[in-house]
Amino acid sequence: MPHFATKHFGTIDFQPEAALEFPHGLPGFEQETRFVALEQPGTKPLVFLQSLSRPELCFITMPVQVVDPGYRLTVSEEDLQCLELAEDRQPEIGTEVLCLAIVSVAEQRGPTANLVAPVVVNLRTRRAVQAIAPGSRYSAQHPVPGTTAEEPCS
Amino acid sequence: MLVIRRRAGESILLGESIEIQVTEIGPSRVKLGITAPPEVVILRKEIKLTREQNQAAAQGVAMDRAAELAAQVARARRSGAAHAGDRATPRPANPLA
Repeated sequence: MPHFATKHFGTIDFQPEAALEFPHGLPGFEQETRFVALEQPGTKPLVFLQSLSRPELCFITMPVQVVDPGYRLTVSEEDLQCLELAEDRQPEIGTEVLCLAIVSVAEQRGPTANLVAPVVVNLRTRRAVQAIAPGSRYSAQHPVPGTTAEEPCS
Repeated sequence: MLVIRRRAGESILLGESIEIQVTEIGPSRVKLGITAPPEVVILRKEIKLTREQNQAAAQGVAMDRAAELAAQVARARRSGAAHAGDRATPRPANPLA
């Protein structure tokens, strides 16, 4: 079984088919094309997106529906093509794609999730892309529920 | 912001060395041709914003706070479900296995 020495999780073993392939990397990390999604019992529902080429590169993410249960995908045609998915409709989260929002933890503001540019993974082929939906009503800094970033309910 | 109307084929000049030409006008988008020296970075705006978000997220990874963050989120989900009187959403088969 292939393995990789990570900074935060030690050496991890993974099934080859669990490796996620980002043909264009991610914006800001265009050279990083292979990642693995890790879950740990003590930190669910967080999903760690660990690079398979840089030991220290790991994004904290959450399934978009944990951040916003009513989340609607708006993946562009180009991104659907890149994902090897049908271009005439949005894919279904959970059955066709895994959809993760990258979380930023800023001291002043508390944790926020990027809902305007989710990481979308084709569950069948493991192709992945960070699908940016400009003009969508979602925020790149959506407060994570339950944390200090969230506005108190009035 | 300076707003200029252009027809297909017409151009805008920026400074001494940058030209933006409207090469094609379609029903919902325009095609632009950009000529600029190599040191000028050309980026779609949303890519730049996403890039900055990702770099901030990767740098600020406080893995020691991950457990705390997960606990806060899990608590909020449980209390949210209780208030709404919903059953917990059935989890799909683990797609990561």
